[in-house]
Amino acid sequence: MIADRIRRTRAVGGRVMVQLVRDHRFLALALLVPVAVVYLLHVFLGSVNSPFFDPARFAVPLGAFIVHFLTYVLTAIVLVRERTGETLPRMFACGYRQGEIITGYLTAYTALASVQSLIVLAELAWLFELDYPWTKFLSIALVIWLLAVISMSLGILVSNFARTEGQVLPFVPAVIIPSIFLSGVVIPPENLPAWARVLGWFTPLFHADAVLVPLLKSGGSMADAGWSLAGLPCYGVAVLALASLTLRERD
Amino acid sequence: MAEAVTVEGLEKRYGRVEALRGISLSVKRGEIFGLLGANGAGKTTLIRILVGLARPTAGSVSVLGFDPNREAAALRRQVGFMPQSPALYLDLSTRANVAFFGAAHPHENSGRRVEEIIDFVALRERAHDPVHTLSGGMKQRVSLGCALFHKPALLLLDEPTAGVDPPLREIFWKHFRDLAASGATIVVSTHQLDEALACDRLAVMRDGAVLACDSPAGLLRRGRTTVRVKCGDAIEEARIESTPEALAAHLKHAGLSPEVASVELVADTLETIVLDLVRRGGAP
Ligand SMILES: Nc1ncnc2c1ncn2[C@@H]1O[C@H](COP(=O)(O)OP(=O)(O)OP(=O)(O)O)[C@@H](O)[C@H]1O
Ligand SMILES: [Mg+2]
Repeated sequence: MIADRIRRTRAVGGRVMVQLVRDHRFLALALLVPVAVVYLLHVFLGSVNSPFFDPARFAVPLGAFIVHFLTYVLTAIVLVRERTGETLPRMFACGYRQGEIITGYLTAYTALASVQSLIVLAELAWLFELDYPWTKFLSIALVIWLLAVISMSLGILVSNFARTEGQVLPFVPAVIIPSIFLSGVVIPPENLPAWARVLGWFTPLFHADAVLVPLLKSGGSMADAGWSLAGLPCYGVAVLALASLTLRERD
Repeated sequence: MAEAVTVEGLEKRYGRVEALRGISLSVKRGEIFGLLGANGAGKTTLIRILVGLARPTAGSVSVLGFDPNREAAALRRQVGFMPQSPALYLDLSTRANVAFFGAAHPHENSGRRVEEIIDFVALRERAHDPVHTLSGGMKQRVSLGCALFHKPALLLLDEPTAGVDPPLREIFWKHFRDLAASGATIVVSTHQLDEALACDRLAVMRDGAVLACDSPAGLLRRGRTTVRVKCGDAIEEARIESTPEALAAHLKHAGLSPEVASVELVADTLETIVLDLVRRGGAP
């Protein structure tokens, strides 16, 4: 029983991985777009002329946002394509289960997201001349990586509500725009009205920033985030559970 | 248990569309059962319900003794499903597609089984090419191969020969008959009357209802034969049942005088019978 589940999960992961590696255009896009956007970010933040402005304070959260945005949109589209191409119902008819499909996808895309996070972080460190101790870099990488995994789950969840690839589009701003305004990337969430803060909890970026902001202060570490540390994993588990519950098998 | 599939009072509604309106039928083990019907008749909907990909609105379904809604996992180990669209990963090769869908099932030597399937669908030369470079008929062959991997007891084939040329269609049907001979049950949907003739039994469907469920010979018996007796200059035409007895009775009535120059028989084809059934909505 358990061996069957592991075999099927590995089959999905292996298949998605082969597809990823084969699709040179997709791969190039997924890796080069963040590089270009982070560079633009550097140009943009560098043009702010204020002695009180610390570009690094914004660079890392915005870098995390880029990884979040890309993994979320790519996963949603790829999964909708599985549905429209009828390969998803065929997988179900063959005996693949929801949990196996999602775990398989996660393993393959996590590899991609890890590379993405590392590239973004390396570029941020170089462009913004971040001179953090390596433990701090490791903590940031961990947060960005967790955020990427969560973004994938969110993409899978959203793919359930779209029948065509075009229908994914309205969901992109629906998740991304509140993320920017409510998560604390731009304004500290404490300054927001209570209802907006509650809404912010539903964006993964909020939980990532809750860890990143104290961590990025000079001399800050993961421990400074306190209870907020639990936010990201809890959010991840909740979204994953929701995604596998809603990955529709029957209509 | 002699029945592979039993369906009773099956209804399926999509919003305001009634895809199936109370269907009842049964498929015996080892038979090739055809679903014949025009576009939108409900063939795909029925097949999807049988493999647990659609939930019936009402009615009962039993497939190989399982309920496709509640016992999908156990059922799917014994069912091979070929969807109407090829449903393959176009960027992957034939081999990778067969291997992936096959990997859903335990197999002691899956590598060898993949090669067997590739030979079975005669795609050895193209086994390594991405599926998007194959022709439509070749894609159908890959799709069939994926459904056969685990030697299922029941095959659900949704228009397997759509877009397949006549010689290849012949080969597909030879495969189906071989599979049925080795004990598999096959449910196959089609628009093609010549394919319907090759089934052991078939259900003629229209607008979500089964109009008739019979063997091709039984359906043919529903047809009539036109008898034209030419006697001198007069031609007398009559429509009689398509049986030798009916013909004898009719000729006795006509009297076989020396003047009878010729007797011509024109039997209804399956096409006329089915079109007639569909026009009358199944009423006898
Ligand atoms: N997912 C769906 N949502 C809404 N309506 C549907 C859906 N699937 C099928 N239908 C409707 O149900 C009816 C039967 O469709 P079905 O696909 O079963 O027909 P079919 O006999 O397979 O036709 P075809 O020969 O064209 O493949 C049609 O009116 C169709 O529009
Ligand atoms: Mg159909």
